[in-house]
Amino acid sequence: MAEINEMGLFQEDDHRVAYIFTAAPTTATTASPNTTATATTTTTTTKGARGRPTKRRKLLKKGTGAQQLDDDDDDQDTTREQQLQDGQDGEDGEGCTQWPRLFDGAESVAAAGLRREVYESAWPVLEKEIETVLREANRQTLDDVVGFLNSEVHEHEGKGRVPAGFIITGPNIAGQDLLFGQLGDALRETGEGVRFVRLRAGEVGNLKGGLKRIVREGMNTGEKEGEEGEEQVRVGGRNGRRYLDYDLEALRVFMQQKGKGGRVIVAFQDSEAFDTGLVGELVGLFHSWQDRIQFSVLFGIATSVELFQARLLKSTARQLYGAQFDVVQANAVLESVIMAAVAGTKAQLRIGPGLLRKLVRRQQEQVAGVGAFVSSLKYAYMNHFYANPLSVLLADGQKLDKEILQPEHLEAVRMLESFKSHVEQAVEEGKLDHARMLLENDSYLKVRISRQAAERQRYLGKLLQSLALVTATELSKRSFIGLYEAALEEGIFLDHSPGPFDLGDAIKRSTPEELIGLINRITAVIVDGNPSLHWKGMNSDQDAKTAVNKFEGLRADVERLIEKSKENKTSLQSKYSSQSKVLRTTVVAQKVQLSRDTATLTEEDNAFTEAIDCFFAFFKDLVGCEPLSSLFLHEVWQYDYHLPYEDVFVPRPGGTFARALTRPHDYLGCACCDKANGSAVGTLPATSILYHLYCEAGALINVADLWAAYYALVGEDSEIGMDERSALVHFYRGLAEMRAMGFVKQSKKKADHIAKLKWL
Amino acid sequence: MTVPIFELPDELRLSLITKQFPCREPQIRALATLLNPSSAPCRNLVVYGTEATGKTAITTALLASLDGDSLRHVIVNSIECITARHLYETVVGKVAAALEWEAVPPRCESVSQLTVSLSKMLKYTERPDGFRFVLVFDGIDHQREAPHTLLPALARLSEIIPNLTTLFILTSPPPNNLLTTFTPHLHFPTYTKPEFISILSLTPPPPITPTTTPSETLDLYTRFIAAVHDSLSRSASRTLPSLTQACHTLWPKFTLPILNRTHTVKEFTKLIVLARVHFQDESLLDPTLSLSPPSSSLTPNPVKTTDLANLLPTTARFLLLSAYLASHNPTKTDLTLFSTFHHGRKRRRGGFSSGVGGGVAGGGRGGRKKGSQHRKIARKLLGAHAFVLERMLAIFMAVRTEWDPASRGRIRNGVVEGGEEEVDNDVYMSIATLASLRLLVKVGGGGDVTDLGGKWRVAVGWEVVRGLGRSVGVEVEEWLIE
Repeated sequence: MAEINEMGLFQEDDHRVAYIFTAAPTTATTASPNTTATATTTTTTTKGARGRPTKRRKLLKKGTGAQQLDDDDDDQDTTREQQLQDGQDGEDGEGCTQWPRLFDGAESVAAAGLRREVYESAWPVLEKEIETVLREANRQTLDDVVGFLNSEVHEHEGKGRVPAGFIITGPNIAGQDLLFGQLGDALRETGEGVRFVRLRAGEVGNLKGGLKRIVREGMNTGEKEGEEGEEQVRVGGRNGRRYLDYDLEALRVFMQQKGKGGRVIVAFQDSEAFDTGLVGELVGLFHSWQDRIQFSVLFGIATSVELFQARLLKSTARQLYGAQFDVVQANAVLESVIMAAVAGTKAQLRIGPGLLRKLVRRQQEQVAGVGAFVSSLKYAYMNHFYANPLSVLLADGQKLDKEILQPEHLEAVRMLESFKSHVEQAVEEGKLDHARMLLENDSYLKVRISRQAAERQRYLGKLLQSLALVTATELSKRSFIGLYEAALEEGIFLDHSPGPFDLGDAIKRSTPEELIGLINRITAVIVDGNPSLHWKGMNSDQDAKTAVNKFEGLRADVERLIEKSKENKTSLQSKYSSQSKVLRTTVVAQKVQLSRDTATLTEEDNAFTEAIDCFFAFFKDLVGCEPLSSLFLHEVWQYDYHLPYEDVFVPRPGGTFARALTRPHDYLGCACCDKANGSAVGTLPATSILYHLYCEAGALINVADLWAAYYALVGEDSEIGMDERSALVHFYRGLAEMRAMGFVKQSKKKADHIAKLKWL
Repeated sequence: MTVPIFELPDELRLSLITKQFPCREPQIRALATLLNPSSAPCRNLVVYGTEATGKTAITTALLASLDGDSLRHVIVNSIECITARHLYETVVGKVAAALEWEAVPPRCESVSQLTVSLSKMLKYTERPDGFRFVLVFDGIDHQREAPHTLLPALARLSEIIPNLTTLFILTSPPPNNLLTTFTPHLHFPTYTKPEFISILSLTPPPPITPTTTPSETLDLYTRFIAAVHDSLSRSASRTLPSLTQACHTLWPKFTLPILNRTHTVKEFTKLIVLARVHFQDESLLDPTLSLSPPSSSLTPNPVKTTDLANLLPTTARFLLLSAYLASHNPTKTDLTLFSTFHHGRKRRRGGFSSGVGGGVAGGGRGGRKKGSQHRKIARKLLGAHAFVLERMLAIFMAVRTEWDPASRGRIRNGVVEGGEEEVDNDVYMSIATLASLRLLVKVGGGGDVTDLGGKWRVAVGWEVVRGLGRSVGVEVEEWLIE
């Protein structure tokens, strides 16, 4: 048995196509699932399964399938055991220990547990929030579709045809699930006898399968009565007649018994992926049954109705009668998602401007659907709380008692960029004591740290208030996302003239009516806040009241001025809006004379100008914010790293392969190839040498030439001095690896040649 | 009581049906005679004719009127039967229902079981004298998964069960119909022009204006139908529904001058001349998914957000354009088109116009214009050719920086960030998106989707691609060798 085991191991290793370098050969080379599970889940457990020996595979001479299953079961068992143990540990009061302890293991268990707790309170809130936003976005479409299906239009106009709703979902296939789920719920609510059947191309292979599904779901949705039906033939009907399970007659009888003339709505969720013939046949069937069962169909279309129609048979098209519905597209949804989940008050972690820009850009250029954005967001959260020990500082004040902060935490804080700049600033300002205390006195630093939570709240309040007010003016040309990015990166300064927030000119140029509208919108925002940001208006009543009073006074002034100017039959204008300087042209003796004339402003005009100035001054009081990076300890609650995100979500396998093969010594860390620096040297692994040669070759490579070139590098004449036999072995191995990686293949054009496959 | 040997079917009933289905009197009479138990009932009967000639409708109506004590019938629509077994079970179920048979119909998996079941119900049960049962197989030639012996087997049913008449409704008669034992055939020919006119003029539209009399309208309508038939139906479409639809669509356009009071009802010729454009437009015969606007779209929505060009992300659009180029340009011209070697950024052919559109017709494009006079069929009309995935990616990489300057990386604070010089996984993801939308189709089975050697074909047409190109500021025309 042991021998067999040994052999099995050997073979497993042997079949591995590419050479994988394992940096730390301490773990067993056969990475059985069991050991990996242990590694991830119990790094911090002191007891538990660490000391367990690696599981031996049972090798039976019979089929391997059973053994595989057995193995999997065992693995599951072990993980379950471990989870149980972990749970018990948690109850013991040591906190959840599944997260690794950072600071090279020096982090206390409580701190790690607290990090985990913070993460678990931060992310699910957002996830729920995002789902609400997405659901809300679909509402309009839902109402339209339900309205169309329930309307009587198709009774007379599309007589004898199958009513069909074409829902343009866009290429966001992942979003279709949610939409159709909602649709089903909404439609079932509308009537007793409504049966909603979702068909997905993956699940419905042929006509029979589709009909089976329709019949089964059509009979199950009402009450759970049809369940007694067998798989093959279903018992239905009052005389107990058995129907084939793809017979729509069964459905008809069932629905007749239920009474009230129910209807069946069949939704083709991803119409493009369906076989066109299948759709045609199903529609033909529905059409032919239309006088007995009232069918309606819905198509989720990712491209356009025209393209979809071009694929349908014309006879099928003739049997359909429908309307087109649009779904709010991903780009529009993205903004509301960002407002709710990134910028809003519920977001614990701030996604830094750089990463946010990257995410948004990827969303617009590469990805269809918000799903990718949401998972990137989640990944950022996970990364922050999992890998940044300082993220524990985000916890509530009560939980974050001073015992939890270890010397390591303080040391890490002192390493922060923002700490350094803060201290430098303090030194420049002459607050030497403060700087010294920060650097040397631990308890002083702890106090400062605990004070930062309030500071953070204040900053966020100000940021959101500014953003809400700026968007309320409706004067900025940038989208909300752009404004938010700019606010984080550069801060909000209304004075900076060429900048994202230079609203000064636009505000000053506004007419009296526009100004009144502006005041109305702004007061509304001050009082009610911005619901999509979850910002609830200015928090202290005192401030809000004074601000509103100021603005209302202004509005009354402006209204009075308008009245007055109406009486005088002049139009009210300000210094900024009127063309105060008029260029006059006079023709005197065939010569053009230019003269400047200053239009005079009336008394009211001057008053209005004053009002505008006054308004702008108030507005400036309320709007304004520092860039995020200027804040002390902002690293604790800001995440702005591209690299892990890019590596995970946008991997570049081609580039990685090329780099690994060109400069393997960067990864191997061996001393022999230090001087290679990207060129072909004999000490490189054979595959790497071959790759270098491969890059220099043309489309067809003569293997004999390749061998000659290779041998020249490693052969007896070179520094390596390998004998021909072992060189040949290495050569063959390298070539096989190249083939396995898809770089070359056997050419049929010429004997003894291989064709180059990879160009990009 | 004796049943008379031969008795013609009841005139009154027939006249009702003939009124309901005009221009079909001979067929109705023949069918009635062949089905009526007291006239000349036959065993098998084949009714055939092309689409929309009234076969099913007349049979149904006639049988419904003949139905009584001495005749029962069942109509089985083959379209609704998914398999042959489904057909048999439907037949048994329906026959049992028609005969008010008490017992639960048994399962029925083959023709022999069908014969047994039917015999039990029809042959070995007491029936009044002269009782006949008519079994209609509608569209039996379109039966799915039909064994090739299905038709002969069904035809034998009436030999085993004497009082059964089997009626087959087919589109065209079976090819060997004269080689077998005699079966009466009844042909439903397509309607002729006078028949079309008389049928359609039975339902004239309401008077055009309050002043025109119904007879004037009818007169004009009759002549109008003739004109529509001559211009559209004769050449393109010969069925009654399509002619009806064409008439309904054209009539408002045709009578518009009368409503505008520029012409009178009498001036048929002038009206025809005015409406000539519409009569030449065959597209209205083309059945389209008729779309009624959703009720909520009353609010004007100027930007059509559901255009394909707006739906796809930018990279997917570029990929689709590259795929179109790969599909429609011959491989040998790739070097000329896409290589920038030796030439810096200068294109050898065509000027890349940034946003000017077709404004650069002179200069570089002149040479191609001259040469293109000799071409036979534009390659883009020939349909898409298959291409190797790697070629498309190469084209994509070649044109990407030119079409999308942002992909070279944005310069921000003097630092280039986000340059994309190599194919990353987002590109593959876009390809997968396009494939799942069937905008790109893999040709030939086998092989992994990511296999660079796999063959693909673009599945969108020129119009779509042109719109797509313009949405990203690319005139695709300039990149095509015609």
